Amino acid sequence: MEKINRRDFLKFIGAGGIGAGAGLLYGESTRKTVELLIPQVVTPEDYSPGIATWYNTVCRLCSAGCGISVRTREGRAKKIEGNPNHPVNQGRLCALGQAGLNALYNPDRIRTPLRRTGDRGNFAPIDWDEALTLLGRRLGNLKIKKQGSSVYLLAGGLRGHIDTLFYTFMQALGSDHYLHYEFTHPAALYAANRMIFNQDILPYYDISNASYVLSFGADYLGTWLSPVHYSQAYGHLRQGRTDQRGKCVQIEPRMSLTGASADEWIACRPGSEGLLAMAMVHVIVNDGLYRGPDRNAWLEATGPYTPEAVAAQADVAADVITRLAHEFIRNQPGLAIGGGSAASHTNAAASLAAINVLNYLAGNLNTPGGVIFNPDPVSPASPVARQASYARLQEWIEAMAGGGVDVLITHAVNPVFTLPPAAGFTEALAKVPMVVSLSSFMDETTALADLVLPAHTYLEAWGDDMPEPGVGFPVATLSQPVVKPLYDTRDAGDIILSLAHQIGGELPVVLPWTRIEDYLKDSWKHIYGQRRITADSGGNFDEFWNAALAAGVWGENITREPLRFDGVAEDRIRALQVPPPAFAGEEKDHPFVLLPYLTQAFHDGRGANLPWLQELPDPLTSIVYGAWVEINPATAKRFGIREGDIVEVQTPSGSLRAPAFLYPAIRPDVIAMPIGQGHSQYGRYARGRGANPLEILSPLVDEASGALAWSATRAGIRKTGERAPLIKTDGVTRTLGRQILDDKPAHT
Amino acid sequence: MSISVRDALLTFKTPALIGLVGVTGFIAGYLIDMTIFTDTAPKQPIDFSHRIHVSDNGIPCLHCHNYADTTPAAGVPSVSKCMGCHKTIATDRPEVMKLAGYWENQEPIPWIKVHDVPDFVYFTHKRHVLAGLECQVCHGPVETMDRIARVSTLKMPWCVECHTERKVEHGRDCWTCHK
Amino acid sequence: MGKLTDKLKQYLKPGYYDKFDYHWTMTIDLDRCTGCEACVVACQAENNLPIVGEKRFRERREIKWLRVERYWEGEYPDVKLRFIPMLCQHCDQAPCETPCPVAATYHNQDGLNTQIYNRCIGTRTCAVYCPYEVRYFNWFSYTWDEPLEQQLNPDVTVREKGVMEKCTFCIQRIRQAKDRAKDDGRRRVRDGEVTPACVQSCPAEAMVFGDLNDPESRVAKLAKNARGYKVLEELNTAPSIVYLKKVNPDG
Repeated sequence: MEKINRRDFLKFIGAGGIGAGAGLLYGESTRKTVELLIPQVVTPEDYSPGIATWYNTVCRLCSAGCGISVRTREGRAKKIEGNPNHPVNQGRLCALGQAGLNALYNPDRIRTPLRRTGDRGNFAPIDWDEALTLLGRRLGNLKIKKQGSSVYLLAGGLRGHIDTLFYTFMQALGSDHYLHYEFTHPAALYAANRMIFNQDILPYYDISNASYVLSFGADYLGTWLSPVHYSQAYGHLRQGRTDQRGKCVQIEPRMSLTGASADEWIACRPGSEGLLAMAMVHVIVNDGLYRGPDRNAWLEATGPYTPEAVAAQADVAADVITRLAHEFIRNQPGLAIGGGSAASHTNAAASLAAINVLNYLAGNLNTPGGVIFNPDPVSPASPVARQASYARLQEWIEAMAGGGVDVLITHAVNPVFTLPPAAGFTEALAKVPMVVSLSSFMDETTALADLVLPAHTYLEAWGDDMPEPGVGFPVATLSQPVVKPLYDTRDAGDIILSLAHQIGGELPVVLPWTRIEDYLKDSWKHIYGQRRITADSGGNFDEFWNAALAAGVWGENITREPLRFDGVAEDRIRALQVPPPAFAGEEKDHPFVLLPYLTQAFHDGRGANLPWLQELPDPLTSIVYGAWVEINPATAKRFGIREGDIVEVQTPSGSLRAPAFLYPAIRPDVIAMPIGQGHSQYGRYARGRGANPLEILSPLVDEASGALAWSATRAGIRKTGERAPLIKTDGVTRTLGRQILDDKPAHT
Repeated sequence: MSISVRDALLTFKTPALIGLVGVTGFIAGYLIDMTIFTDTAPKQPIDFSHRIHVSDNGIPCLHCHNYADTTPAAGVPSVSKCMGCHKTIATDRPEVMKLAGYWENQEPIPWIKVHDVPDFVYFTHKRHVLAGLECQVCHGPVETMDRIARVSTLKMPWCVECHTERKVEHGRDCWTCHK
Repeated sequence: MGKLTDKLKQYLKPGYYDKFDYHWTMTIDLDRCTGCEACVVACQAENNLPIVGEKRFRERREIKWLRVERYWEGEYPDVKLRFIPMLCQHCDQAPCETPCPVAATYHNQDGLNTQIYNRCIGTRTCAVYCPYEVRYFNWFSYTWDEPLEQQLNPDVTVREKGVMEKCTFCIQRIRQAKDRAKDDGRRRVRDGEVTPACVQSCPAEAMVFGDLNDPESRVAKLAKNARGYKVLEELNTAPSIVYLKKVNPDG
């Protein structure tokens, strides 16, 4: 080897030294920061590290009342699953229910009580004592002055003993003004059931054992009443039996999620569903498919509703009407149900009543696979009397506007968003001196409050639920906290109990409990006493209570006598008629009917603040993060509207703008919009996104039930010339011969 | 005039050798940092001595680290577990007085984690303990340590070596350990 | 020579293994599926899928290990819509496994197509080769607005920028089921003991999961159903998911 000269030698040493230094620095800079190992202070009793603890409770994201099991690790909620013990959902859960953790851990939750500063919409935090004293004093003063009736309490669909607590509280204050209001409340269905079946509570629709489901717009797989239960029943109806596969028919102006799964989808004119049902009743009686003693009464009542007469009104061929009527009777047990568009016109209750009659004629009442009347729910009685229709709420709005309401307390309800502005709720709210909200989120209604007493989310709260519709036997679900409360919020029940003690007088006498858990436990003594099965492992009350907590649900599925139904009274038969639907707006100015629809993710807008649901592609359009207007492709072509063109939808009550989507399965004379977006508040994921179709509805009402006829608004559309391409995940939605669905049809 | 390829390359001989020395120096520096400059036995908030507790007093591992054979995490005993004995035993020692201080304030002791695997690794103590492995196999002679020290690298090749030697069922499948 | 040809012959058989230990398989009954997407949200919750945001959806960079595809047929008013949930098929002859230059994805002894985040260097070759387009790349390191990160599942890695990810058949649940089986004394995992998040949530019970090697399992019986087929079967990927055709009653 040649000799190295000194310069090169120094270069080598330098290079080596710098390299080593660089290596050392690299090692230091990429070193993991020191991690600490934090032990418990006291050995925890209810969990071992690394092993999940499960808590059973109730999902409160819609009114179905599914039981859920929540997996927690080290005190944090990780995953919500269906509770396998629960008869409503039997271990299964829908998309909205799965997203519940986004509500618990939502970054925009209200974390402390708030008090208005300055104009409505501005808040400053206050502590609980101050807040409760403020409200308690005001309520106390009203009570002393015997003006307790100027206190109004509006809750979302509340059931179980928390509802009883609220009711007791209001009664002790001296107020009868306690109502529930939910946009999705099926007021027309309750009215129709009273009309035909004399039933005050919803029946059990036994889809699981049916051979035929004739649905007039009822989205039972997506949003109608109890979608998880019905989806499970649908699966069984299709492939759960070896000897038959049930058939599903869907009649509606726009294909819903359920319509997509139907064997036959029939596009009828909006509001004509009841007319079609009457025509089918006529066919069934006229063609001798029903031979009951009241045949002639039915024939007389449905005289004008021949298939030929109705065909023109409904835009459904007379022979199709006749065929469906025959099919329905021939494929019993079967069910006729109505919802969606059928339940949201000015003839809603009458339409649903006609649909009920189909079940009666088919003889499927109280038989497996048919419409089974539910027994009375477990105590307390179902608060159906408190569920307000739109018309009933109008009385409240008038009282508010007239200055008759001093304090309005709201809980789990957002009427500023779900009521059309034409109802005047927001203006009337301005006349109420004190608006209190118990909401966990800053929604549109809470933003206008004077005092916010944030309640726990459902995963942090105590309570119970008796599902409605029931499942055919008494069921009571317990709701318990699955995590310690995240913030300085309180259980809604505890808020009421604290107020009761604040106000004093007879209130703490009637409501002596200081903790909601105690109130609930004492209330369940009544359920314990009502049990018919006592010779089981129920044991004493404490054992019963602990068993119910562990299982999350208690039920008594024992065979009982099927409830009798003695037929429809003759005067009811004679009174049955379905008027044609009325619309707001004239056809020449507003050539389309605007059909807002509920989505399985957002329902009435409550799911819009959950990021997982904003990211969930709509099942029928694959659109995310926005709202859209669905137009029939042929209509769009006529107007020169392309997908993504922003159109202005104009109704007699207002207008909005949204991008257009060419939807293949909607009538050419109908446009549809999903409900749920268009929030002006409600957190970062919901705010300022899309448009709310409820904002431009005209306040027509179904007189028979008081329900808002939210499909009765006519609309015109106008191109604005602007574009906002829709964000969707779909590309081409045709198989184009690719063997994706393997189009060789199977034979049953 | 042309030159051969070899001659052309030879002009870069010195810079190339400098680069090589530099890279070697870098690797050497990194390895020195990983070994000499890494503290495998950091000072803990309380100078807890395993030697005193295990060797001198005969306390078995699972008495304090009771979750090791039932859960994926071995766990460090809660403050209340320590106080179980030290409410009355050795209360005059300065380290025990530190412990009492934590207990009085109901504060957890912020131990520095000595044995740690990254978050993407699924390591379950229960499986290893129930397989019959003595704690000392991985943790070394803990009963002699006055200050707990990490004696194994806890890096993947070390895990894979043992899984291979002992013919662990599907032990070499990546998804056995990587989440 | 004979030994060599024997060794070579094993590569002619479908899949890399002579036999799988467990052969995890799923059946999806399209006659039950309602398209409700409960499975999609369940997967998101269980597997720490990021909230990518509106901008990334616009760029077609969303991450949904399980998606529901929809296909229209016909024109109004005789129009039909059909759903098909699409997820990693865990192909026994996966086109994505061979081209990975670092073997970050390979077929394991349980019939699963694995994805090892640590090994992945982000060439995205596998995504190009996958005919089902069920592989998703982390173009960014996503964050969760506090306190949404409290919900993250500790049994599943949170992925960083630069790695591919896809459905794992909830390997964390399979691992746990095997662990529990070992606790019970070295027995096999029984049918029904392990269900991925999607299967567990499906309201219509359209999805069934289990071990094809167990002849008594529900999935083994359903996989032989006359309505069964595999998507893009002609590509010879040998998927582990058997779809059951939706019934058309008009034949």
